[in-house]
Amino acid sequence: MKKIRDIKKADIKIDMTPMVDVIMLLLTFFMLTATFKIVESAAVEVTLPKSSDADTSKVPDTKLMTITLTKSGDIFLDVDNPVLRKELFGDEYGIGVYHPDSLTQSEFKTSGKVGGQDFKRPVMFLPTKGEFEKKLSDIKAKGPRDEKGNSALRIVVKGDQDADFGAMEDLMASLKETRNTVFNMLTQLKREKN
Amino acid sequence: MSGTDFDSPDAGGGRGKQHKSVKKAGVKIDMTPMVDVIMLLLTFFMLTTTLSKPQVMRINLPKGEEKDKLKVDMGTVLFVRVSEKGNIYTFRGNSDGSEQPVEKVDVKDIKVKLETVAALNKQKNLDLLVLLKFDRKMKYKTMVEILDQINMANIDKKYAFLKMEEEDLKKVNEAGG
Repeated sequence: MKKIRDIKKADIKIDMTPMVDVIMLLLTFFMLTATFKIVESAAVEVTLPKSSDADTSKVPDTKLMTITLTKSGDIFLDVDNPVLRKELFGDEYGIGVYHPDSLTQSEFKTSGKVGGQDFKRPVMFLPTKGEFEKKLSDIKAKGPRDEKGNSALRIVVKGDQDADFGAMEDLMASLKETRNTVFNMLTQLKREKN
Repeated sequence: MSGTDFDSPDAGGGRGKQHKSVKKAGVKIDMTPMVDVIMLLLTFFMLTTTLSKPQVMRINLPKGEEKDKLKVDMGTVLFVRVSEKGNIYTFRGNSDGSEQPVEKVDVKDIKVKLETVAALNKQKNLDLLVLLKFDRKMKYKTMVEILDQINMANIDKKYAFLKMEEEDLKKVNEAGG
């Protein structure tokens, strides 16, 4: 038995070291660049539109208010602070949803789903524009402040590329109404076909 | 590399070989389980990472009250009206309040169009104000694409969102919807 093994070894010898080296490098790279999704604070999934503008400013990742506009015209309102979430939406993982367009039905309200998928976070339905704007104002009032006491809240709007502009128009009106006049729209970088 | 030249009295390289062989016999580390584990980890991290980070487009809405009306010289204005189907029509304004004939533009040509109009306005010492009138049923994507074009254009980025009124709708429909 031993003899056979020895002979075999002498015939084909594969040096695994370079492969292990490369794999180790790749592993380190992916470990360092990985960002995990936490199920409880999972974002509402949307397909972002593409833009090619050279504005490479980084996406803010703290002191956030995230407004997600889904394909069906539902507007999800979320903040990144669990304490504030509990206060506003009744749960540490709560999220608010509002459907501005009275001509269409809210997908979430009719089916309880978002983009055909089950949504795991506890959702508070905001039936009127007034309630939606109240939440917006509350977030601004109770949200993060800078040293001078001004609101340091950063607003990110994630719109689905196939969403209707009407919902966006209403959202912008509400934002303006609540003095949230600066916001960032999230897009995906467009790759030029040259 | 075969074991046959094990006993050949080679100088230099031969000695090295001999040395290696002896070592192998002494400590043998089986890398297979480690490679397995690393491969698993690698696959896991490759599948869970998101590499293309989104970028942002910053929007500043006007802070003023709705009743604070602003008088605008219509000669500076370029209306961009977009129909439900996403067709884009531009209308240049005249200083007397009328509008020049409609022009249909493709999304990717808006940049050039804006720069041309800005240059024409500049000859008359006028700025350019872009007024965007979007149909409510238009896609969000179209809005982002138009804003992207405005951002890329080499002009003063002054634009405003206005509500699509009956009158605008009529103009768009006349131009082909």
